[in-house]
Amino acid sequence: MTTFAQAILSGTAQGAIYALLALGFVIIYKATHVISFAQPALMVIGGLFSYHFSAVFGLPFWPSLFIAILLGAGLGMLIERLALRPMIGKPVFTLAIITIGVDVVLRVLANRYIGADSRALRYPGGSERYEFLGLALSHRQVTIIVVTLITVVSLALFIRYAKAGLAMRATALDQETALAQGVKVGAMFALAWAIAGGLAAIAGTFIATGSGGIEQDTWIIALKALPAIIIGGLDSLQGAVIGGLAVGIIEQITAVYQAAYLPFLGTNFSLVAPYALMFVVLLIRPYGLFGTKEVERV
Amino acid sequence: MRKHGFLPKTLAGAAIAAFALTGCRDDGGGGGNGEDDAAGSGPGVSSDPCPDAVNEENGCITLGIITDLTDTFSAVAVPVTEAQEAFWQRVNEEGGIGGFDVQLVIADGEYDPQTTSQRYQEMRSDVLALAQALGSSQVMAILDDMRDDNVIAAPASWNSAWDFEPLIVESGANYCFEAMNGVDWALGERGPIESVMAIGYPTDFGEDAAYGAETAAEANAVEFTQITTPTGQDNQAEAISQVVQNDPDLIVITAGPTETATIVAGAAAEGWQGTAVGSSPTWNPGLLQSDAAPVLEERYFHASPWGPWDYESAGHEAMQEALGDVTPNFAYVMGWAWSYPMLAVLEHAAEMEGGITRENVVAAAEELEEVDYEGILPPEAGLRAGDPNETAYRASVINRVTADAPGGTEMEQDLTVGPTAESYDYSGPCAALD
Repeated sequence: MTTFAQAILSGTAQGAIYALLALGFVIIYKATHVISFAQPALMVIGGLFSYHFSAVFGLPFWPSLFIAILLGAGLGMLIERLALRPMIGKPVFTLAIITIGVDVVLRVLANRYIGADSRALRYPGGSERYEFLGLALSHRQVTIIVVTLITVVSLALFIRYAKAGLAMRATALDQETALAQGVKVGAMFALAWAIAGGLAAIAGTFIATGSGGIEQDTWIIALKALPAIIIGGLDSLQGAVIGGLAVGIIEQITAVYQAAYLPFLGTNFSLVAPYALMFVVLLIRPYGLFGTKEVERV
Repeated sequence: MRKHGFLPKTLAGAAIAAFALTGCRDDGGGGGNGEDDAAGSGPGVSSDPCPDAVNEENGCITLGIITDLTDTFSAVAVPVTEAQEAFWQRVNEEGGIGGFDVQLVIADGEYDPQTTSQRYQEMRSDVLALAQALGSSQVMAILDDMRDDNVIAAPASWNSAWDFEPLIVESGANYCFEAMNGVDWALGERGPIESVMAIGYPTDFGEDAAYGAETAAEANAVEFTQITTPTGQDNQAEAISQVVQNDPDLIVITAGPTETATIVAGAAAEGWQGTAVGSSPTWNPGLLQSDAAPVLEERYFHASPWGPWDYESAGHEAMQEALGDVTPNFAYVMGWAWSYPMLAVLEHAAEMEGGITRENVVAAAEELEEVDYEGILPPEAGLRAGDPNETAYRASVINRVTADAPGGTEMEQDLTVGPTAESYDYSGPCAALD
């Protein structure tokens, strides 16, 4: 039982990172109906911002993270303004392809910075661990969970109560009606990208504090958010969070138990497990656990 | 998995373009090149000087490099390639080989057999030999073509299969002997050790070392288990879980640096207290900045075929001088040391009748009895003429991680052949390559 609880705890910490990334995908999708494939690059560059301000400029970890969030948000807005705004009205497929191009360009630039060595960010809590009832979490894992929790709650409050949040919801619901009501739809698009950039920077920063730091192939981690958003529902913020946590937990539980109880599935089935869960969810709820069922009038 | 490094690709593209435009071309055979002291002909050998030649009066030998500039091992391969560029530049500055300068054509094989094969097809008529071919299965993908072309290669890998392949001129102990020596060393220095777990990629790279670890474990009557693990630091949960559940006293890892750090630090965080020995490609000094650094300093040891960056040898000194102001990295030593056998082969071929040709280069490689590694390895490490069971070099080094040393490691044990490797009947490769 302790092993199971430990797997859930460890999976929650890893899933929290996926949740932040998934939130970025969903926020952009809700606002613009575009799936942004630039999120991996935003995550890597956000992590590199933190690394640079901490390791090169010598700033403490938390101010570095704060600056990285701001720069990540700024980068998100810049992408929206330069690459996507001019394409408003074009098919969303075209816009999605553009985000792939943006991702490639940004990752090329990031890889030039990364170079041969991994860019690892020293976490201020070191290897300190908290233990209770036979369970253990590192200082870093606790911080990831807490920061994600604060971020998600803040975001939910912002969208629920802030004027800009209300405008974002209106834009997500119906862009033309929102425009008719005086909402600056373009600004809402930019705001969505800014939030996604900031979230990606948080995720990237915590990945940079991991044992391996940021390498040229670290961007692949962001793709774990894809099954998360499908599981949770493409247009659901709470679905993104729950989907991200589900992916982290199912990965961890599979890693711990599958070799002993389901060995016929082969080694490293934990990599496939999130996608298996995604298929199961799609069979039961094609729009994800919390996604909106789409009805088209013919 | 793909990564896209702008600079390396640009450099590679520029190198190939420069080669094509300036026409350091094959002179079509027939021997001779107009120079009194230069003899050679055929693909990759030209009487014209190399572009940007150090010695304008020399002809030009073109060597190919198919490496990984943008994928799994780019962090290692980029400095390896830079070291090889510095090595051959030094050769040119010292007068070249038999009246020829050497130029390199660098291509990105992306650590992919198919891409490696494609890159080889692009350069096969233009190169004399391959100064670097990275990866084991990648080399296997081009080996038949190399046989057809009479092209030899210096591998950027230490697979045991290379000892049985005449066209491959490897340097240092292979992964298999390295793992044997790692287990033997740990049994002596980190004991008591009653269980060993091999963790590696599900490739010939991982299998070669796993076989060595298993052989050493059996020889020492120690329990042995093996698991495979994929690439990616986010994909190591299962390996960590297996280490924690099985609680081996020693793990032998053959993976990339970040995977290694993630496994060792992750398992240690969950209570594992054993020792880890990683094969040559498992270390990157960038890990010293990660939160895994204290754990790695305490319980990770880097097995390698020769000494680290600051090892005292004329070869290390020459490498440091040639590279200039770079961040110390063991990968530079790898690239530099791997180049010596190719130099020895070319020098030997230059002395043969007909001079430097592909055929003579192959013959010279088969006759190689020693290589002057300038102290990085003893000359007999270059012995290739004879039965691999008699000639294969079996000694390796154990390094300890420390932030105080350049490159992040200092030598714990100099070149040593452990009892398992010494008595091993080497009648075939440890892991078969398909």
